[in-house]
Amino acid sequence: MPPALLTTSLVNTIQIGSLYALMALGITLTFSVMKLPNFAHAEYVTAGAYAALIVSLSGVLNPLVIMIAAFAVGALSALISHLAVFKPLEGRDVSFYTLILSSFAIGLIIRYILFTMADYFNLFDLRIAIPLRIVLRDGNLILSNLFAWVVPTSVILVIILTLLLNRSPLGREMRALANNISLARVIGIRVERVKNYAWLLVGGLAGVAGALWGLQTAVHPLMGWGAIISVFAAAILGGLSSFSGTVLGAYVVAFSENTVMLFLNANYGLDLAFKPAIPFIIIIAVLLLRPQGFTNLIKRAEELQR
Amino acid sequence: MINIDIAATVVAVLTLFGIYSLMAISLNLEYGVAGVPNFGQALFVSIGAYVAGITYTRLLPILAGYESIHPCGPTMGAALQLRSEIMATQPVAGFINLALTMMIAALVAGAVGFALSYVTLRLKEEWFLALVLLVAGETVRILVRGADDFICSNNGISGVAQPFYFLRDPGASSFLFMLLALALALIAYLYSERLVRSPFGRMLKGLRENEEVTRGLGKGISLARAQIMLIGSAIAACGGVLFALNTGFVNTNDFVVNLTLDVWVMVVLGGIGNNRGAVLGALLIAVMDRFAQVGAIILNMGGSDIEFNYVRFIGFGLILLWMLRYRPGGLLPESRLTTDAHDVVGRLLGK
Repeated sequence: MPPALLTTSLVNTIQIGSLYALMALGITLTFSVMKLPNFAHAEYVTAGAYAALIVSLSGVLNPLVIMIAAFAVGALSALISHLAVFKPLEGRDVSFYTLILSSFAIGLIIRYILFTMADYFNLFDLRIAIPLRIVLRDGNLILSNLFAWVVPTSVILVIILTLLLNRSPLGREMRALANNISLARVIGIRVERVKNYAWLLVGGLAGVAGALWGLQTAVHPLMGWGAIISVFAAAILGGLSSFSGTVLGAYVVAFSENTVMLFLNANYGLDLAFKPAIPFIIIIAVLLLRPQGFTNLIKRAEELQR
Repeated sequence: MINIDIAATVVAVLTLFGIYSLMAISLNLEYGVAGVPNFGQALFVSIGAYVAGITYTRLLPILAGYESIHPCGPTMGAALQLRSEIMATQPVAGFINLALTMMIAALVAGAVGFALSYVTLRLKEEWFLALVLLVAGETVRILVRGADDFICSNNGISGVAQPFYFLRDPGASSFLFMLLALALALIAYLYSERLVRSPFGRMLKGLRENEEVTRGLGKGISLARAQIMLIGSAIAACGGVLFALNTGFVNTNDFVVNLTLDVWVMVVLGGIGNNRGAVLGALLIAVMDRFAQVGAIILNMGGSDIEFNYVRFIGFGLILLWMLRYRPGGLLPESRLTTDAHDVVGRLLGK
């Protein structure tokens, strides 16, 4: 494999991996706190991307404003799906599969509302209109100002989120909910309020991920859904419970989709059309062979540090 | 206004109803009766369609006494012409081919369903099976789409004609095809009605209600669930063969997750755990699909450019949410099942 290709694919790995991490953290958080594998998560990403696109089309090109709009729309759609669908269902003690099916239904509704909107206003495959500027050119490797935006922002957000979950009072309450919800209620944690905050956080991060993603590729109603399996693969690598495991998993998935795939293509002639099969293979392999993902690995590493 | 050919519409709706019934009955046996969450229904339907794509291009010419021509690439046109010619002139080869297609599809899908569920049902968490099936469906779709020789990657296979094509009368041949679809759906219905009333069916319901108790009574739960997945997948694959014949195409784009959700909508709408409910759901969705198509044409002719297909999916999402929240049992909830033995005992007791 030529070295130039290797560098480009590694840059892609970092870029895509950071976005996957932002989304997968949301999946892990919903699964551990709300006990729900939320397949509608993909649509919060798309909704955020469209919010960012519409703001940028209206002439506001300040990236910060765009991110805030994306955060707000993502957070709002997550909170609405919680209040309108999941909360009433949880109150009725329905089966786990009813919850999964409802999350699919919410996903369908949001996705096809976005489709209808995009169709009506001709918003297919547009880019968020921040002007491209090349900040680094080194041989074949070209880095634009978008890279300078996307990677630091997502890395900083991942760090902030991890700190928030591990150090802040809200994070402690969320982890208490994840551990034992009845116990959390007994010791006076306002469970419903913490849940609302968790949903806002999850949806908001997904929205920001969508906006960052829309900076580098065209915005399309299927963009979130197209990534959901990769994101789930990352969360499953994290055992659906460990946050650092999820971040690690996100980079592993991105690495296999970019670098490993290019390597297989260059050396063994594997068609690039098979790239979408990689996250599927990861999911099936992890579930069958190591359903706890990286969880134990990380625990052991932490014990060694002490 | 546009003219709507009522007879043709009824035939189209009933054909679709037969095909959807097979898919819905299959999911109802798996999820409704046995509680196995099959989120990969598209996989098993697609296996039927892919098998049809292969047999109609490789097996059919041999059955009719020709050399088979490679269906993709430069010989695509010649192969398509040969297929159509055989289907138009040699009905016997067409029927034998269809019968073999059904059998192979049922066997392959049954084996896949059995193997996937037997392995994954032993996992830590039961819902992993749902994820594995969902993911397996998409993986198979991508692999088939990526492979050039299988069903010609993105192009798919066209000219997978229905068996009555030789009549050269579209009305008559689609009417007979409708009868075929309805007959297969009826067989599947009667079979599954017998199955739920059998001791095996009662054990499956026991599993659904309480795994520990059923295991305590000495029943092997992994095997039983894998068995019902085998039966359900085989029925779904037969539906898939008919699905391919009905559209005349085999294309990987038809077998995305949305197809799985369509089947779930049928079962949730009709009634989870009740075969009659599943069939009712299939009928309602078939009718709705047809009305959506007609509605889309009328809307577009009226100058609106809203894509009706999008509205259909929004509607399906709302139906799912509404039913799950307000009528979780469906329109025809599961009722108490009685058997012949029940009647005999009732008479003996003088009731």
